[in-house]
Amino acid sequence: MIGEIWNLIILEPIINVLIVLSHYLFSSFGLAIIALTIVVNGCMYPLTLKQLRASKAMQALQPKLAELQKKYAKDKEKLAKEQMKMYKESGVSPAGCIVPMLIQMPIWIALYQSIIRLLAVTPEDFLGLSQYLYSWPVVYSALPLGNKFLWLNLATPDSYLVLPLLVGGTMWVQQKMIMSTTADPKQQAQSRMMLWMMPLMFAFITLSFPSGLALFWVTSSAIRIAIQYFVTGWGGLVKVTAPKQAGRDKKYKKRIAQVEERPSEDADTGADIVEPSSGQEEGLGYGESGDKSQDRGRGDSARLRGIRRQPGRSRSHRPKRR
Amino acid sequence: MEIRCNKILLVKVLLFLVILLVSGLTGFGCAGTGTIPKGWSGGVVVDDTLFLGSMEGKVVAIDVLSHTRLWEVPLETSEQAAGGFGCAPASTAVAIYGSPAVAEELVYVGGYNGKIYAFSVGKDEPRWVYPREGNLQPIVGGAIVSQGKLYFGCSDGKVYALDAAEGYKQWEFQTGDKIWSTPAIDGDTLFIGSFDKKLYALSATDGSKKWEFETGGAITSTPLVYDNTIYIGSFDRHFYAVDATDGSLKWRSEVEAGSWFWAKPVAYNGVIYAGSLDHKVYILNAETGEEVVDAINLGSPISSSPVLVDDSVIIASEDGRVWTIDTSNNQQSELKNLEEKIYASLCASDGVVYIHTSEGELHALNAQSGTKLWSL
Repeated sequence: MIGEIWNLIILEPIINVLIVLSHYLFSSFGLAIIALTIVVNGCMYPLTLKQLRASKAMQALQPKLAELQKKYAKDKEKLAKEQMKMYKESGVSPAGCIVPMLIQMPIWIALYQSIIRLLAVTPEDFLGLSQYLYSWPVVYSALPLGNKFLWLNLATPDSYLVLPLLVGGTMWVQQKMIMSTTADPKQQAQSRMMLWMMPLMFAFITLSFPSGLALFWVTSSAIRIAIQYFVTGWGGLVKVTAPKQAGRDKKYKKRIAQVEERPSEDADTGADIVEPSSGQEEGLGYGESGDKSQDRGRGDSARLRGIRRQPGRSRSHRPKRR
Repeated sequence: MEIRCNKILLVKVLLFLVILLVSGLTGFGCAGTGTIPKGWSGGVVVDDTLFLGSMEGKVVAIDVLSHTRLWEVPLETSEQAAGGFGCAPASTAVAIYGSPAVAEELVYVGGYNGKIYAFSVGKDEPRWVYPREGNLQPIVGGAIVSQGKLYFGCSDGKVYALDAAEGYKQWEFQTGDKIWSTPAIDGDTLFIGSFDKKLYALSATDGSKKWEFETGGAITSTPLVYDNTIYIGSFDRHFYAVDATDGSLKWRSEVEAGSWFWAKPVAYNGVIYAGSLDHKVYILNAETGEEVVDAINLGSPISSSPVLVDDSVIIASEDGRVWTIDTSNNQQSELKNLEEKIYASLCASDGVVYIHTSEGELHALNAQSGTKLWSL
């Protein structure tokens, strides 16, 4: 039942659109894959943007979270409470970085299944393909789709190993762009693992998957890199980045800055989050995610001055969240 | 509830998503290449012995009277049968799709590994293999033997003619795309369809092209030669009658099927019976192409080629049901529900229909009553 709904709503439309695209793009299935990947990425652009911004904002909160974890190491309940409070005040939703990924995942799987079914390597696959076709004349006349694209046979792995390298390379760049440096050795290890694990894993998979699928991965990664560049700049890829900011980013940063500027309710404990000795100086905050410019020319002293200008500011006096 | 969307959580989520993605990708079959080719060879009966390609990649000879296996021999194991990631080489059997051909004590069978084999019955080693070195592209269609030559089409788009006794190449003819169709021969003319949408008529002697006829879609079904006319269905969902002499169009069916024509049609008494993947059997006047009666809906795609037994058309639908169509009134009735997928061509001898299912079972049914005589 679920399979039928999946086929009806997702798989069949994608398969038939791919065939039509192939027909109009010089009978090239390779171009059809690239075109559909661009279209799908375009449709999911708002989600991708949301995910990137949420991830970025989450990264910016890392120093503060580390502080809280350190501070409330023995009181889990209080820690959770404080974390929730921080998320709420900074306008960052923990689900913001996961939900878009979860929504996109079925689309990627459907796109993969469509490509595999259309490549129809075996007679069984090809025979099964007939069950997914619309009764559009163009669909029936366009099949079977040509497997040749550039030097590739889209139905078989790339024997020249160019695609595995491209898949791994583009994924590495993408991972590197979203990475931020951290002083926490545990997080550093995790970051390094993610930086190398995903690209290596997908490059390895590409060695035995049809080139058509690898083409889809490379195109997707390239698009993600482009989107990411416009959202966060080169991020962790280069040390000094050009400022790239969208309006929504500024909103996130302002909120985070407000959270950081706000004197903690537990200020008397000495855990002032605006202390220069916290993550800011260690590059934990905006630095590697391309947001350093936000603080450039202002610095901690300016922020401290801002706090001094509002010595008695409490939660009720905080600027209204937009 | 404690929500920890920090880096650790993100890493865990990403790891989970990667596992989910890979599971999703590989969930419906062999990763990367879809399903593993299994084959769907039909049988051929010669002198009370049925020859077929089994799902285990073996050529099998069965005595239909005692329904015992007389002999079986595997085609060589194939690395191609194994995929890559997620496709552990659990089975290295060579898939066999085409029905074997038998002539002069030799059994010929094409493998999905791109080789064609000639076996002497009872011997474990093939008499010859073509090509001797390396492999062609997968061979999906069946082979036929005529006048000392073996003919078959290949996924490399070529039609090959070999010396049937020794396996040396006599000629080859290149089409525009891969060939999954089994050739048909009439006198000195060989007819074969190609994925390039064309039906070809070739000289059986030297492979020169006599004519070609283009349809609107790819052709995988085997052409039917009947009354100096070639009948063939296409992926464009139309059925065609083409003059066998010059390749001119006699008619194109007015009716448009809901899906591809995959199976070979049969003809009886001036009527063509053509099954389609849209679940229907189209019953057409061989002269005009008009529908004799409304198409019969069997409720499941028809990819298995039907067979004529006396004045009945025995046809199987993919869902495992076997039907008989009475040619006198074109009424269908269910002969047997085998409850196993059927893709292989049917074959018949002495009033018994032999059905090779995708489960690897061979069933013998009485063509009149539908009684199951034996299974193997």
